[in-house]
Amino acid sequence: MSQGFDKIAKTQARAHLIVLEQTDWFTRIVTLSPKLLVLILILPVLGGLIGVVLPAFGWVPALDKTTLNLQGFIELWQTPGLTRMAALSVATGLISTLLAFVLALMILAAFFNSVWLQRIEHLLSPILVIPHAAAAIAVGFLIAPSGMFARLISPWLSGWALAPNGILPHDPYGISIILGLTLKELPFLLLMALGALAQPELGKKLRQQYKVALNLGYHPITAFFKAVLPLLYPFLRLPILAVLAYASASVEMPLILGPNTPPTLAVSIMNWFNDVDLTLRIKASAGALLQLALTAGLVAFWLGGEKAIKACGSASLINGKRRYADAAWQKITGVLTVFVIGFMLLSLVGLALWSIAGYWRFPAMLPEQFVWLHFDSAFAQMGTPLFNTLTIGLVSTAFAIVLALLCLEAEQLRARYLSNLTSLIIYLPLLVPSIAFLFGLVWIQQWLNYQSAFFNVAFAHVLFVLPYVFLSLASSYRRLDPRFAHVAASLGAAPIKVFFQIKLPQLFAPILIAIALGLAISFGQYLPTLLAGGGRIATITTEAVTLANGASRRTSAVYAIIQMALPLIGFILAWILPKYFFRSGAR
Amino acid sequence: MDAISSLPMLRRIKQYSAYAMVLGICVGISASTASTNNATSDQTLSPWQKIEAQGKNQDVYFYAWGGDPQINAYLQWAAEQVDDKYNINLVHVKLSDTSEAVSRVLAEKAANNNDQGSVDLVWINGANFATMSENSLLLKQWANKLPNFSLTDPDNNPTVNYDFGVPTNGMEAPWGQASLTFYYDSLSVNTPPTTLNELTTWAAQNPGRFSYPKPPDFLGMSFLKYALVILHEQHDADTGENTKAQLNLPATEQNTALVLDPLWAFLDDFHPTLWRDGEQFVQTGAQMRRLVDDTELSLAFTFSAPEVPAAVQRFDLPKSIRSYAMSDGSLSNTHFVAIPYNTSHPQAAQLVANFLMSPEAQAHKQTSAVWGDKTVLVQSTLSSEQQALFDSKQTHPSALPFDSITRIVSEPHPSWVDGIMQGWQMRYGVSP
Amino acid sequence: MPSTLQIKDLQLFRQNERLLSMDEHIAGGDILTVMGPSGSGKSSLLNWLTGSLSKDFTATGTVWLNDQDVTHLPAHMRGIGVLYQDALLFSHLSVAGNIAFAMPKDNKNGGKKQRLEKIAHALAQVGLAGMGDRHPDNLSGGQQARVALLRTLLGAPKAILLDEPFSKLDTQLRKDTRQLVFEQIQTYKLPAIMVTHDESDAEAAGGKIIHLDR
Repeated sequence: MSQGFDKIAKTQARAHLIVLEQTDWFTRIVTLSPKLLVLILILPVLGGLIGVVLPAFGWVPALDKTTLNLQGFIELWQTPGLTRMAALSVATGLISTLLAFVLALMILAAFFNSVWLQRIEHLLSPILVIPHAAAAIAVGFLIAPSGMFARLISPWLSGWALAPNGILPHDPYGISIILGLTLKELPFLLLMALGALAQPELGKKLRQQYKVALNLGYHPITAFFKAVLPLLYPFLRLPILAVLAYASASVEMPLILGPNTPPTLAVSIMNWFNDVDLTLRIKASAGALLQLALTAGLVAFWLGGEKAIKACGSASLINGKRRYADAAWQKITGVLTVFVIGFMLLSLVGLALWSIAGYWRFPAMLPEQFVWLHFDSAFAQMGTPLFNTLTIGLVSTAFAIVLALLCLEAEQLRARYLSNLTSLIIYLPLLVPSIAFLFGLVWIQQWLNYQSAFFNVAFAHVLFVLPYVFLSLASSYRRLDPRFAHVAASLGAAPIKVFFQIKLPQLFAPILIAIALGLAISFGQYLPTLLAGGGRIATITTEAVTLANGASRRTSAVYAIIQMALPLIGFILAWILPKYFFRSGAR
Repeated sequence: MDAISSLPMLRRIKQYSAYAMVLGICVGISASTASTNNATSDQTLSPWQKIEAQGKNQDVYFYAWGGDPQINAYLQWAAEQVDDKYNINLVHVKLSDTSEAVSRVLAEKAANNNDQGSVDLVWINGANFATMSENSLLLKQWANKLPNFSLTDPDNNPTVNYDFGVPTNGMEAPWGQASLTFYYDSLSVNTPPTTLNELTTWAAQNPGRFSYPKPPDFLGMSFLKYALVILHEQHDADTGENTKAQLNLPATEQNTALVLDPLWAFLDDFHPTLWRDGEQFVQTGAQMRRLVDDTELSLAFTFSAPEVPAAVQRFDLPKSIRSYAMSDGSLSNTHFVAIPYNTSHPQAAQLVANFLMSPEAQAHKQTSAVWGDKTVLVQSTLSSEQQALFDSKQTHPSALPFDSITRIVSEPHPSWVDGIMQGWQMRYGVSP
Repeated sequence: MPSTLQIKDLQLFRQNERLLSMDEHIAGGDILTVMGPSGSGKSSLLNWLTGSLSKDFTATGTVWLNDQDVTHLPAHMRGIGVLYQDALLFSHLSVAGNIAFAMPKDNKNGGKKQRLEKIAHALAQVGLAGMGDRHPDNLSGGQQARVALLRTLLGAPKAILLDEPFSKLDTQLRKDTRQLVFEQIQTYKLPAIMVTHDESDAEAAGGKIIHLDR
């Protein structure tokens, strides 16, 4: 199909461009969009990094320090527990990514041919839009010594009348963090894989090769690993690296579930940046560079691991062995899937129960009373954060959608796909640890225009919303039949008319989904809101994180539920509205 | 409805219509009662009236700790009041730690932002106040000119003029008082410890049931300060020396070891009996309270005794909780609100501060169902109607009984905070 | 001993509508040709035989391979090879790799060397000598078809199904490839079922021809 696209589209599109180049402002805007996209993604990230590199080497004019030196790094090195912080960050990042990846592969392999795959996809999709903070709160409830697990077995099995001495959450090994991260990243990786499989050509090819392998006698799981995975993996690489980068540098999960003697490196950096003593900023900047190095190291390690596995595994790909205890792995995967889904459901149930709980002393299974008090008092205070959350989400998503659509249109006008470099740049804000560049970005924003906290936060959100929105729209946009556009153009319609009257209506449902996705991403942002807004802009997520380790499980449960409900509303709308507007028979 | 009424757009509409109404009423009254106009003519407005006039219709950004929903709700109530009274839009900027606000003002000063500051009012005391005062970050000599300041009986009440021993110089207006009190779960503890020694014994017999928030948390530091003072009092009583006096003096290289070593020795023995063997600590007092509800801890403490019955009423603590004060002393201090030197709305901020000290605001704050924070107003300065506002309703079973605090321990010099914090971080900041 | 493939009382339904019924016995080396217009159920027949019948269809009847009932075995345990229209070569493996993938597991002692020799020999036999290291996407359609054939045959199947395997090849190539395939089927004595809509294919197969009518 791509060969046909190239031949026909190129000649026709070039003809259009030549005719309209001089006169059509729409076309000019469209052709500029990819450059604008790249600028918007690169400049803040790189600028933010520079805004952190300079202070790291001692250059902070606001504190009258303009000589470059290594003092920051020396102080960093002398911080007690630094190696432990770094080790914790690296370990939690790597182990959670590995676990999520392996589990996702096993689920794919075990259920590749069965109807369960779709069911699991539907079960796990809502988990995808739950913000990390809400997920951390929910998991925290479950694994605490007085959590749901302990209550289920007390006191009849365990003999505990009071909560036992446990180590979860906030354990020094980061197990709680790993649990939270894995549960959040597993659906993401699984759905990325399923998204790749949903592409018509790739999906068809992979399923056929799977079938061939089965016919040749390969047991299903082995067939998946030997015939499907080698071709599927390149499409998963970037999402996995994004997960790895996030997991090693995230702040919400360790804040809510992690230890504090010492915390992870990212949390420490945040504390140093917020300290009253401004000279600690130098150490914090040095720490940010260290975090960058750690994350880059992890990415390099993963890529190296890929090559190593490829080298070692290529022999076993063709050794003809058709079975590696497949039946056992099938059962194990089944059990693990049930466990994972059960874990998620139980934590959600716990969350719901806490939000309406009266007195609920350990080890009772259910609260003594059910009350609406917590929702009532939360709603009374939620006005401004809710308003901020919604407006920032709408503004940043709208901007991201418009820009993404224009870039995709540019792609079609120029009759070739965005280069690989551009695709990588789209992932940039997801790959560079946000703790590393956000502080620098804030510094730049303050230098440029420090009055409008709202605008600063909205812009920071755009950086994180844009990649997801673009990826979500790209597959649908590229699947549009180009012949409609060519017919319309040959009838004399200008590109802008084609865009608004032919392409957009066809894309109604995907655009709504992209909007819902963008909103969900924006709703869940913590660090960008906190830093770019200087703490003056409260959103549901910032409130939730503040309350998560606060005194009231019940109130934080309410906020977590609101955090989850908001994106869901967006997706429900995205599902319902296309049934009534712009109904397309093709769906 | 509350949620909707706080939407900024509607708020603006509400403001303008309220303003129009007020204007209309004023015109109406002055037109119909021209003869009963009072003596103050327009040319000779008192300073306070000038502030009242200039401070109306402004925004005030109040940077205050936001970790307690009760306090947040009280501030929202206060926002509604000042909105009605002065058309002031009071915004509570929730902080996890007051030092965030101090950082902000410091950063703004460093960037030469001297009159467009983002912080208009800040809830503060102790070390944070000392820092801001030393760096000239606060507006001076305004608090002592507020009309309601006289209700705190300043001439006879050193607690409103000194903050941890540092003179306030009119830079901060008193807001409330707090003492360190303890609470426990009566279903798992029969006789709670009432002195520091009893606490150590109790913790040894009930390992893992007590903890304190990790420094630099304010509450954790308070516990350590309490322990430090008591340890020195005991030592002085045994040996006849007077090392306790050092605590009221600034920390120096010479006296640090002398003063702090007993604390470290105490903690070295104490920690293994604590929650998670003293290798992990709760992050905040709020988390500590939550662990009591979870039954992971049996004993905890707070600086705001009324938060305990309030929590019980909100189901956040079980009904079996009881409060008490240590018989060997309760660490006490006053907390204040201050105005940064570079505030964008100085007059409006002063109006808010004055309102916070008003009898109605203080009485509402002291109501245990609302917040329960002790008032800074002295009853003898109030009229009988004002005193009536403070009549306490029936006490909650979990509340601190009246007159529980038999002995007050005053705060050491704020410079000791740094010493304790750094020493603690070095010794216990990284779990083995 | 040559294999036998037997279909007993097959009735294939698409949502309560009967598509076809069949009862056949195919000996090793024989080719049963099934012809019919599109939608008559040809592909579904093959799917049923390999055990991958889609949910929209139901079937009754049994399949016997070498006098063993394989009707309820999953797809990967039947031992029935399939040659499709598209070569469907694995693009992450070389030509030799594709063939090696299909071969049964090697034994430890010098097994790997033997396999490589066997592959080279097989490639030479079909006129693709020395192309073991080439990437499948770089081969022409006819070459790919031959590699696909080798892959299917060297997987040691007990029966072979052909799903319009020559329809994408041009006439001359078609004749040659067809001849090659049928020869191999004879050599290996595999019972085969071929689905096609080309008369000349049916003729060349030289076996029984079944027409499916709508």
